[in-house]
Formats: sequence, structure tokens, C-alpha cells
Amino acid sequence: MKKIYWKLVLIIGVIGLLIILIYPPFHRWARAHVNYQTAVEDHPLNCLSCHLYTQKTGLISKLINADYYSPFNLALSNDGKRLYVVAEESNTLLVVDTEKRKVTNKIKVGYRPHTVILDKDEKYGYVSNQWEDNIYVIDLGNNIVIDTLDTGNGPAGIALSSDGKFIYAVNSYTNDISVIDLSSGREWKRLAAGNNPTGIGMSPDGRRLLVTSRRANLVPYGDPVVCELTVIDEDTKMVIDRQDMNSAYMLENIAFTPDGELALIPLIRPKNLVPSIQVEKGFMMTNGMAVIEQKPDGRVIQLLLDEPNEYFADPFDVAITPDGKRAFVSHAGVNRISVIDMDSIRSFISHTPTEMLEYYSNHLGISSKYLVKRIVTGANPKGLVLSSDGRYLYVAEHLEDRIAVISTESLETVNTIDLGGPKRITVARQGRRILNNASGTFQTQYACYTCHPDAHEDGLVYNMASKDMGRNLANTQSLRDIGDTPPFKWNGKNQTIYKQDGMRFSTVLTRNEAFNYKDLDALVAYIVTGIPYPPNLLYNPTGELNAMQLRGKALFERTIDNHGNEIPEKQRCITCHPPPYFTNKNFEDVGSLLASDDSMLFDTPHLNNIYASPPYLHHGRALTLEEIWTVYAEEDTHGAVNDFTKIELNELIEYLKSIREPEYYINESKKNKVLQAKIKNH
Amino acid sequence: MSGVGLKFFRGFPAFLIIYVFLVSCTGKSVGDGMIILTESPELLRSPDYSEGTVWRYLPGARITAVNPDKPEKIIVLTEEFSSACFPEISYDGKCMLFTARKNENDSWQIWEMNLRNLKSRKITSFDENCTDPVYLPGNRMAFSRQTINDTVGNAHCIFTCRLDGSGVQQVTFSPASSFANTVLKDGRIITVNTVLNPQEADPVLQIMRPDGTKADLYYKAPAGCRLISSVSETNDRHLIFAERNAGNPGKDELISISYNRPLHTRINLTSSIDGDFLFALPVATDRFLVSYRKPGSESYGICEFDPSEKKLGRQIYSDPRYNVVDAVIAVRHDRPKNLPSEVDMHVKTGLIMCQNINVFNAELPRSFHETHKARRIEVVGVDTTYGVVDVEEDGSFYLKVIADTPFRIKTIDDNGNLISGPCSWLWLRPNERRGCVGCHEDPELVPRNLLSIAVTKDPVIIPVHIGEIKEKIVELE
Repeated sequence: MKKIYWKLVLIIGVIGLLIILIYPPFHRWARAHVNYQTAVEDHPLNCLSCHLYTQKTGLISKLINADYYSPFNLALSNDGKRLYVVAEESNTLLVVDTEKRKVTNKIKVGYRPHTVILDKDEKYGYVSNQWEDNIYVIDLGNNIVIDTLDTGNGPAGIALSSDGKFIYAVNSYTNDISVIDLSSGREWKRLAAGNNPTGIGMSPDGRRLLVTSRRANLVPYGDPVVCELTVIDEDTKMVIDRQDMNSAYMLENIAFTPDGELALIPLIRPKNLVPSIQVEKGFMMTNGMAVIEQKPDGRVIQLLLDEPNEYFADPFDVAITPDGKRAFVSHAGVNRISVIDMDSIRSFISHTPTEMLEYYSNHLGISSKYLVKRIVTGANPKGLVLSSDGRYLYVAEHLEDRIAVISTESLETVNTIDLGGPKRITVARQGRRILNNASGTFQTQYACYTCHPDAHEDGLVYNMASKDMGRNLANTQSLRDIGDTPPFKWNGKNQTIYKQDGMRFSTVLTRNEAFNYKDLDALVAYIVTGIPYPPNLLYNPTGELNAMQLRGKALFERTIDNHGNEIPEKQRCITCHPPPYFTNKNFEDVGSLLASDDSMLFDTPHLNNIYASPPYLHHGRALTLEEIWTVYAEEDTHGAVNDFTKIELNELIEYLKSIREPEYYINESKKNKVLQAKIKNH
Repeated sequence: MSGVGLKFFRGFPAFLIIYVFLVSCTGKSVGDGMIILTESPELLRSPDYSEGTVWRYLPGARITAVNPDKPEKIIVLTEEFSSACFPEISYDGKCMLFTARKNENDSWQIWEMNLRNLKSRKITSFDENCTDPVYLPGNRMAFSRQTINDTVGNAHCIFTCRLDGSGVQQVTFSPASSFANTVLKDGRIITVNTVLNPQEADPVLQIMRPDGTKADLYYKAPAGCRLISSVSETNDRHLIFAERNAGNPGKDELISISYNRPLHTRINLTSSIDGDFLFALPVATDRFLVSYRKPGSESYGICEFDPSEKKLGRQIYSDPRYNVVDAVIAVRHDRPKNLPSEVDMHVKTGLIMCQNINVFNAELPRSFHETHKARRIEVVGVDTTYGVVDVEEDGSFYLKVIADTPFRIKTIDDNGNLISGPCSWLWLRPNERRGCVGCHEDPELVPRNLLSIAVTKDPVIIPVHIGEIKEKIVELE
């Protein structure tokens, strides 16, 4: 017994001694490591925040993360008893009994559902599946999927024709609109739309449809930002007008007044052409709505919903009461619903000359003329729907897994409906809330999401004015899977996301108190673990490349040029852009520096889903992939391509467009290794 | 504790009330929830610089702590000082900054008192007077300090320093006096600012970041009204302060403006109440403490006030020998935002761009815009001109200005005739970048989203006779 005791003492003593010896150098190393990762010297030494919550795959990832519903868009039965909720992340359509305030059915739908609509008789519902390129037809009596309608790429907003025989699907990735004949289930025709079209709305008289665009038309930096509002004639099902929404983007959804005289569209008025030198006085973003007169030669008016010292970021959806007296706009970035007095809007626009309305589109005080109230909601309010009697407004609280029920009389939230998602808020989920919320920015002018909608990018180039104004333009980069491709920023000066979103971010972008470390850890956890790529259904749905893409792949990987000369390794595409991320994560000069740029090397960007990120290059001057070489690398400064024929360049581009999410290439690589091992063994 | 007292403390946790009661019995420290007052035998006069009145120094004033339910038992906190005023409570509720002088002939300096043991320590030790201290996040404070030099004349500029008195930085540089400082929840400092050059102007509320950047007009009283107090911020995003109404002699009134839209939301809260108001301290959305004097009364006491009903409540405390001119509550409260700073003291200049000096102003007649087109600007200093600069075709200009130097801008037409200006005093902190929509534009106007010609070129250095400034290049990112 005594021996065991002394053995224990000895073991404990040895362990203690080891700890005494090991701890100080380990602590020093850990401090240096964390300092490097975070670029600050006081970030807590908490191994878990980095090494646990940033796990993307495996058992630990499953344990610490959770699957949420994330309600996005809504539809309501005429009697107000059944609410249909698109649960974006669980790929389900939830059927909610509004009286019992309970989910009564969960209908499995396609990948990343976007919008739900009901037909007039409420026999069928239609759900667009944005990442599956189709619409599910749902038998509302039995709550089952009974048919699938193929669409273009990325169907978002959908609308039935006035006779109910056709369905319009707004293809958000191919920038067009599918008109599908419901009797045959086939696409009948396709109409060109604006850039990243999303919402669609039918006028109350059933004669015209309006289609919004989220991204601005691609133009060289310096040209005005213009978004397209596409007008479709319902009788002929043809585009009859393309209206310019000047100085605006992120046009999401549409609502008409019941008399059809006005259409409202929430929008953002960015200031990307103005040097990013301050937030005060609306120098970065303003948020508002378009008021579009539907009469012949009707005006396109834009009015802000912000106030001089408070901004209401990321307006998303709009609903107008059946009596046409009030409108509601959800502001996803500040957890608010704006209540708007429509008679005040009518009076104001009718008494104000058009040129003065243009002036007021940049006026922060004008909202006091029509704003009635701001109603507080849960996290990230998105889709809105009003009951047919106009008494209740339902709000999809996207990152709260909840529906808010607001009385349109008292303008208070009178009930909430819990959708049954996980009760705990994971670290990554909290990070997502932070990324989507503008409270980190001075006076809540914009959220990370504003320039990175859907955690992607907004297609705009900003003058970040890092040294002088007017210099060093920066093309917004996508956040999809970005955690795997450090360093960050075009010049790669930020080695980690901690640094990217830390004090620098606060000084230059948000101009507000920096995120506290808990929030920063959460934000990093979300960015690293939670932003997937949409499937590349347009150019590479199965992984099988077509003949043209295969030829392009050969060109991408070639080592000998068309003249039989060996291409220097540095000049080969594959050298700097190897799979799975198609970046070697090193710095290069590809000859794209402008006179207005400071001398620097560029962090080689990843190419996954590159087709979805125009414009290109750090300054965004290449509006297409072709222009990278035809306009901005004439001297073989960006790889050896000058011996290409036009056809070969096209083939290379086709291959680039086929590049998918990194996981595909990681899995392919694993498969190849297994196959090679088998062959070797055989 | 009386029913009225309970009503007053509705919203305070019960344990705090008990704690206040217990500590107030000892008389040796200031308990959470006690009201701390500035009592002055002299009335706080409105600023009148032509008479040399410096309205924020109160000879013979004292700071006292009052338990609202036992107002007869006051604790004089500053017996060791000949004069003391304008307390400011730390975020943790444990300390208090104040302005004081030990002897009548001493200069006014900033002190900090530990409210648990009532011991004070001096923070500033300047020859010049200092007043109106406010806590800043990051263990710093801001205060007004008398500044005498050729640039500002004899003015009171805003300075910041650490709470141990080190790291003193001047953050305002115009020939103007800034007093009655308050830090808003958004992290900015708001002051009562009076321009002194070329002639004294009416005081306005000026707002700025704590590093002195982005200083701008926040509120201007209507003609005939004059700001006479510091600003208090309510939880429902309103700012409350007192104004003296010259049109109603002897009438000092409480004014409310919305934080969101300060220039157009002025409400007089006390127009229907006879008597005068010097100050308001919001303690809840529906309850203020106000410094009030009945008509015919000699002194100001402290009363409850319901801002929604615009009605006075019970009087909490008064002493006929003194006027209550200021009040705070010794309680832990939220820290304002800790705003980041772009200032780099290694840089000698700041940058300013203007989008269009001829920007349309809806308040001016259309004919004015048609006949008055400016083509140049003149940048003028206190007693000199820094040069005339042609603006671009689109009306834009882009200047690199020696930092921490006050300047104003006039717009001029082709013939050298003045179109507008000069504007109010501006200064740029080292490495500050700043933008304007136009000259004399509507302050609620935001910039148009366009690429100004001026920023596609190098900035014009101001003063124009300086050809080049060699300095450290700072990349903000």
C-alpha cells in the first residue's frame, strides 16, 4: 500500500515537474501564436474558439453545430389559417397553423428553397429551389410534392400568370425569366432580365409583371450604378420595358398598392464611387425604397427610409395593406419593420416636382414625412405577408427560427410562432447574426451582409481610400468558403480572418467600436464553417466536363505552348491556380496594377465558382473573364495565353466557368489516390 | 421610504434602494443611486464672451450628495475645495470627475473622487483653467481647457488625456470655446460651441469623434434662444438641454430634440410651466430630474419632471443659499461606444474632398442657383488666406491641409465675386479624411454616388504656397 502511495506521489511529482517545465514555453508559444493569428496582443488564449468552433467537418463539427430552419419567404392562405414558410436551410416548407401557432407539417422540398406561392384555389403551392434549378409543385390538400418543373439557373421569385396557366420563375443566376406552361410542365419561353434578378410581382389588374434585380449592370468603375427593373406584359409574355433604377441596387421584392397605382421596391443606394472616408452623413450606404408610378410615363421615385443619425440597413421585403393605407418594409440588418403611411407618400410625390424628388432621393430627413413607426423584430427579418383582411403582418425572422405576428392596428408584435428549430444558438449561428446585423457599424448604416449579400459579394468596386482618395480601388470579394484560402484582402496583408475583421475593419470600414473578442470569434467561426458554394449547375452539374471544357482544362494545365516551346512554370495557369481552391495562396504580379494603385503584389484569388463573381481583377475593370486577357494582360503578364486562338481562349473560359466548389476536387483527389493505390496493388 | 420615493425609484433594483438607504446613514461614502448636485451661490450665467463671462466656472460652488428620500441629510463632497462643480460619474459608478479649485486664486482643474472613500486626486495641473470633464472609454477623459494663442485667441478648446493626467491631446483647433461636454451613447462628444472669431456667434451644439475628427454642427437654437446647459441623453434617443429665451425674458426652458434628426425636432418641454429651468437629467423615459426655480423664487432646487405630460413632480431638494445647476446619479451605467481613431500624429496633414460646391440647396430660390455659379474656392485662416483653388468642372475639390489648423472656405465666381461663405470653422486632424456634399448644403443631404473629378487627381496642398509636404505615408488598412 505504501509502495503504491509513493508511486503515485512520484508520478504526480513528475507530471507536476513536467508541467512546470513545459508550461512557460508553451504559454509563450501560445501567446505568440494567438498574437499572430489575431494581430492583437490581448486576445484571450482560448484554444477552443479557434480550434473547436472552426471545425468544418467531422464529429466535432456535428456536435457543436446545429441545423436551423432559417425562415425566408412566406405565403398565407386566404382564410389566414395556414402559413407556408420557406425554411431555407432545412430544405423544407413548413405549414403553420396560425391559430394554434404550431408547425403542423414539414414538406421536404429541394435544395435551398427561396419562394413559395399559392394558386388562387389554394389547391397547389409552388416552391422555387434556388440551388436545384426547379420548382416543386405541392398538393396543398395532402401536403405532398406532386411534380417538379425545371427552370433556369437559380430560380428565386415566382409568380403565376393571371389565368393560372403559366408560372414565371426568375432565374437569379442566369439573369432571365422562365415562363413555364403548367399544362405541359415545360418551359415555354425565356425572357432576359437584369443582373441577378430576384423578385417578381403581378400588378393587381393582372396585366403587367415587374421583376427586380439585385446586382447593378456591369459597367466600368466610374460609370453610374444602375439596376434594371424589367417590365413584362402578361398578355404577350414579352418584356415591354427595362426601367433604370439609378444609383440603386439590391432591389429585392415588390408590392403593389391595391389600386395598382404604385409599386414599392426596397433598395439600397450605395456610395461605392465616393471615397470611403467616413460613415457620417450617409457616405457609405443609404437605404430606402423605390416608388414607381404605374400610369403611362409614370416616374421612378426613390425615397430613403433612413434618418440623419440612424440608418435602417438591408431593406428586404415590402407588404401593403388591402386598403392601401400602410406599407411595411423589413430591414434585415437592423431587426426592424418600417411602417409607412401611403397617403403621405401619395401626397408628397404628387406635390413635388420630379427634379425635387431626385434631390430628395439623397435626403435623410425626408423619411419623417411618411414614416409612422419602427417595429422591433427578432434577428434578421426577411419575408413579409399580410393576412387577407390586413389585420396581421407575419414576419419571417430568418435567424431567429421564428415568425413574428404584428397587429397592423396597434403596430405591436402580438404573438410569435416558434418553428421548432434548435433552442441553443451555436457560435457559428451567432457569427451569422453578427455578419447580417448592422449594429457593428456606426449608426447601423450597413452590415457585412450589405456588401456581401448571401455571404457572396455585391458586384461593386469600392474606393477604399486607404492612402489618398481616388486610389486603390477594391473589387468586393466573395466570402464563400473563404476561410480555406488565406491570406485575405487583395494585397494579402491580413493573414487571418481575425485580423481582417478586427481593428482594421473597425477603423476603415465600420468606424465603430471594434467587435469584442467573443463576437469576433463567433464571426470567424461562421465565416470559416458556414458559407457554402451553390452547386455549379450551369456549367458543371455532374462533374463530367464537356468536350470544350476538357479542351480548356488541357490548356489550363498545359506546359507546352502552341509553338512547341515549354512554358516557364510561373507562366502556367495551373502553377498559381492549382485545385482544389485553384490558388497557391501566394503573391503574384499579373500586370494589372493601375496608375492609381500603389505598388503591390496580389494574393492569388481562388477560382471556385468564378463564373458567379464578375467583375474580375482587383480593380474590377475586367467585366468578363475574357477581358482579363484580352484587355488587361496583353503581354502575357497573367499567364502564357498570347499564342491562344480565339477558340482556345473560349475553351479556357469554358473550363474556368466549370470550376466547382473545392470539396468536389478534394473528393476527386481522394478517389484518384485510392484508384492509383488499387492499380499499384493489382 | 416614502411612497413618492418608491415611485421615484421605480425601475431601480430593490437592492440598490436598500443599499442607498444603508450607505446614506453612514454619511461616509456615496451610495449607488444617490443624486450628486452642483450647488452654486451664483447663478449660472449664459455665456457672454464680449463681457469675458466664462459661464462654466462657478465661484463658491460645491458638490453635494443627496438621498432623494432623505433630502435633509446631504453630504458635502467637496469641503476641501473653495469651489467645485460639474461632476461626472464613471461607468462603474465608483468614481466622479469634477472641476474644482482648492483656493480662490488657484486655477480651475480636473479632479477625480473615489465615491466610496471620498478621497480626491488631481488629474490636470495646467496654468490655464480646465472644466467640464467627461469620461471616455479606454480610461481617458475629455475636458475644456483655456487656450491662448494666435490661432484661437483666448478660447476654450477640447482636450483629452488619460485618467492619470498623461497623454494630453488637444482635439479642437478653431477660434471657438467649447463647454458643457457630454459623451453620447454613440461614442461622440457633444459640446456647446461658441465661435469667437471674427465675431462672437450664438452658441450651437457641435458634435465630433473623441479624437476631434468629423466635427460638425449638430443643433442650432432658433433666433432669440441661447443654449445654457450641457446635454443629457435619454434612453429613447432624445437629447435634453436648457435654452434661455430672449423673447421671454427671464425664462429658461427645457428643450428636447431627437438624436436621429436634431435640426428639425425641437420641442419645448416647459413652455406651459411658469418658472425657470437650468438643467435636466433623465432617470427614466417618463421621469427627469430638473433644476427648477419658481417664479419669484431666489434659487433653483431639484424637482421631478414628467416629460410626456410636461408636468413638474415633487421637489426633491432645495437650499435657498444655493442654486442647483447640475445633477448626476451615482450609479453604474453603460459605457458609450469606444470609437476607433484614424488620427496618426506622425502625419502632418489631413484630406478633405467636396463633391460639388454648387450643390443644389432647396432652401435657396432656384434663380440663385442659376445666377450664382462658383468656380473657385478661397481657403482662409484666422488672419490670413491660404490660397485660391480652382474647382473642377463638376464643382468638386480635393485638398491636403496642414493638420490641426483652423480654416474656412469661401466660394467665388469667375470674376472673383463671393458666392457663399465663408463656412464655419473647419480643421482636420493628422491623417483625417473628410468629405462634404457641398458648400452650405442642406445638412441632411447625403452625397450622390458619383466619382468626383477632383479625387481622380492629386490633392491641392493648403496653404498653396507649400509645394510639397514630405511625411510618413499611412495606409489605413
